[in-house]
Amino acid sequence: MAENVIIDPVTRIEGHLRVECEVEDNKVTNAWVSGALYRGMETVLLDRSPEDAFYVSQRICGVCPISHSHASSQATENALGITIPQGGRLVRNLLECAQFLHSHILWFYHLTALDYVNPVNALSADIADTYALAQAAGTRVADFGAVAARLAAFVENGQFSIFSGHTGWWGVGDRKHPGYVLPPELDLIATAHYLEALEIQAVANEIVAIIAGKFSHPMTSVPGGTAFVPTVEKLDDILFRFVRVKEFIDTALIPDTLAVGAALAGLPAEANPLKYGGGVGNFISWGVFEDASLVPEDRHLPRGFARGLSLEGVSPDDVTEDVLHSWYSSATGKNPKEGETKVKFTKYDTADKYSYGKAVRCKGESTESGPLARMVVAYLAEKSGHAIGKLADEGIRTPATLIDFTLDTLDIPVTDLLSLLGRVAARNLEAAYVADLALKYVGELVEALKGGDAKFWQAAEKDSGDGVGAWEAPRGSVAHWIGVKNGKIDHYQVVAPTTWDIAPRDDEGTLGPMEQALMGAPVADAERPLELLRIAHSFDP
Amino acid sequence: MAQEAHGAIYDLLAVRGVSRRDFLKYCSYVAAMLGLSEAAAPQIAAAVEAGARGKLKPALWLNGGSCSGCTESMAQVDSPDVATVVLELLSVNYFETIMAAAGDHAEKAMDDTIEAGGYLLIYEGAVMTGEDGNTLLINGKKGKDILQKAAEKADAILAVGACAVDGGWVYAHPNPAGGIGVQSYLDTVKVATPVVNLPCCPTSPEWIVAMVVQWLLVAEDDPATFLAKTELKTRTYKDSVTGNNVTLNYPAYIVGSTIHDNCPRRGHFENGEFVTEFGSEEEAKGYCLYKMGCKGPQTYTQCPITRWNRSVSWCVNSGAPCIGCGSLNWVDNNAPFFKRLSSMQLGGGVGNVQPGTVGAIVGGVAAAGLLAHGLGMKAAGRIGDGPPMETAKAYDRKKMAKKGGDK
Repeated sequence: MAENVIIDPVTRIEGHLRVECEVEDNKVTNAWVSGALYRGMETVLLDRSPEDAFYVSQRICGVCPISHSHASSQATENALGITIPQGGRLVRNLLECAQFLHSHILWFYHLTALDYVNPVNALSADIADTYALAQAAGTRVADFGAVAARLAAFVENGQFSIFSGHTGWWGVGDRKHPGYVLPPELDLIATAHYLEALEIQAVANEIVAIIAGKFSHPMTSVPGGTAFVPTVEKLDDILFRFVRVKEFIDTALIPDTLAVGAALAGLPAEANPLKYGGGVGNFISWGVFEDASLVPEDRHLPRGFARGLSLEGVSPDDVTEDVLHSWYSSATGKNPKEGETKVKFTKYDTADKYSYGKAVRCKGESTESGPLARMVVAYLAEKSGHAIGKLADEGIRTPATLIDFTLDTLDIPVTDLLSLLGRVAARNLEAAYVADLALKYVGELVEALKGGDAKFWQAAEKDSGDGVGAWEAPRGSVAHWIGVKNGKIDHYQVVAPTTWDIAPRDDEGTLGPMEQALMGAPVADAERPLELLRIAHSFDP
Repeated sequence: MAQEAHGAIYDLLAVRGVSRRDFLKYCSYVAAMLGLSEAAAPQIAAAVEAGARGKLKPALWLNGGSCSGCTESMAQVDSPDVATVVLELLSVNYFETIMAAAGDHAEKAMDDTIEAGGYLLIYEGAVMTGEDGNTLLINGKKGKDILQKAAEKADAILAVGACAVDGGWVYAHPNPAGGIGVQSYLDTVKVATPVVNLPCCPTSPEWIVAMVVQWLLVAEDDPATFLAKTELKTRTYKDSVTGNNVTLNYPAYIVGSTIHDNCPRRGHFENGEFVTEFGSEEEAKGYCLYKMGCKGPQTYTQCPITRWNRSVSWCVNSGAPCIGCGSLNWVDNNAPFFKRLSSMQLGGGVGNVQPGTVGAIVGGVAAAGLLAHGLGMKAAGRIGDGPPMETAKAYDRKKMAKKGGDK
């Protein structure tokens, strides 16, 4: 018999999310994802100066404010006919790199790892075996004995702090959740890296602070370029931090991903995360990390749209937003350049309206955005001759290199990328590529400073126009549409990264990407729907 | 066991290259932030260590209409690091953004904590009142009702970040989402639990830790004395959503002086050395950002002293003019951000003055010294060549008329 399984609140995400599924015979047969917060950003921005949108609109998200600020500034630049100088481009790329690295590390170790790693189980790890396993997996060693002692003291104290209420999920003895399959030694390694990653994510954010004053909410990527003027000393401060973060990615994030991946990839089909959690199979990337050409298709993670493994072009004009199932009274099916956001709460009703998220669609299709989408688009582009392939000559691990290496290591076909595990792996592989890009950009900026004619900011030449800034945040595709009239904003719409993935049904009843990824997923224990939480977290909503 | 755990905090700090001496230095820094003398450092160290020695005091961290930016900020805390704070200084039993449990299991952790009472409530984000409170729903419950329930039995509340203080950007005109501050909402529902407000967008993690330590110091004796034992400054405003006249408590140390007072670029202001274009040579020299619209002169926070992200930088240091996110209703009152202040408020009875005269007034002491040496600022070309006077702009006049001037 079908039963309803509800996760509300979905924790370890930014914001407030509800997942409701109908489960029959341990499989999801229907799914509804609800965004449960409305804050009214677009209304606040009206009648203000376009530069103010740069400062205010980024406050939509405290985890990816840099990407929002870049999309906002690009929208204004597009509207007012500004071409940013090369120095400004490189500084923005560096800032974006730092945020990506911060975000991906935080996501893997602090937001999703607990869906796979059981720190309580780590208590039974043999310390010598842990060192042996770390060596065999090529991952970073830590003082595993000290971590185990700290963990034991914590558990013995009996106050579980942020782990309150979760020990039951992990369970012990007969109650042990079957989804936690890692050996205790790998659990201990991951726990040690959970703690170390807290330090590394903060190091990545120090780079943000050097360039943009602080994280969260950066201050310098103003319309026209950047207010930050790098000096050799400041670049030195930035460079050694990138090197440190990259070292952690190479010696912990990537080997840990492969070790956890290998442990899960061998599970029987009904529990194998390569066999569920895939979803719609349409992918969008607006493109991120600007090339010297300033052409979105040339970006180092390029712009594109993929239906499965077939690549095509895409434009912001291809976007529509349906609101039949969302708590808005504005017209449905509009492109954001003419769309509106008029809030009207009715009630939570899965048969009618059930979310503050709009059903955003690309070319009419329910479309996934995020690292898996970007890596699929980049992979396909690189395989068909995109210039990012040449970055390999500079010692950079390109998207196709990283993906092919991972598919070989885990011995799986490329089609398995469209799965829960594929989505997890894609994010971490992207981090490796971005870390390499960051060092390249620092080098280019050093060269530019030597020339003495580096430019960082360009003034606007007009005070009216319409524009769009379409860019990528760590968690997905972000676009801001702006209309400026006599120096004042008269139209503003945002399609935030998470909006794509947590979209509700559209007017035709087609499910959103996360909803589709949930469909058919196994649920071993309806009281502890671990698989559903994993799927929700894999989108980093 | 107690001894081992006691040692653990130092082992941990040692791994990060922090010695006991550094740790005590940090404690005296916290002492300064609390308005205590440095002699209080050992007492603060004891409060931090107490966590590792035995029963942890419980805390709840609730997210209202937030972007999680203050949570992110908390993750960037300097020393003790964030793991120590949330695992060994407090038992943070509910914290949506980072807690392991989800759904009913998470809610039970909150309910159990509320039931037991005696906890610190940390609230991030605006209290959502729009659409009759349905603009934030958690498992079918309105966010504002969850706050009320948690606030009633808390020892004390920290409202962290601009949104929790007064609604922040979510409160800005003409938003239908109805985001307001914690104090204003609790006034409405008549909950008298003491609230301490920590400004800025996001707030500083060092300020949060300082107030957590303050609460731990007083909580043992008598939580009701939390406010009385904290040196406070107040600000008042009229909440246009609720109609309440609201009085906000802030730690005095954090809002005691302006950014301009402590700005490392202040010398350039007095020398009349300004950045007039982004990305310029003047910025590379670290000149004053006042002409770019910097709101430092009217914003009362400790940003230049605390700095951000483990003290590596802060807004002005990276070339960005302050947007005054630490002031009340910061979006309505401070935008357009690039426009120069049409008037500046200076302390010490100087009152409202036009910017052109500011350089002379704030540099008064220095000017007297120069005159005594027979130089004179006029002769040095520093009076009369300052920024030109500006009258109130049309935008400001319209805004003040509309909002009744709640600055």
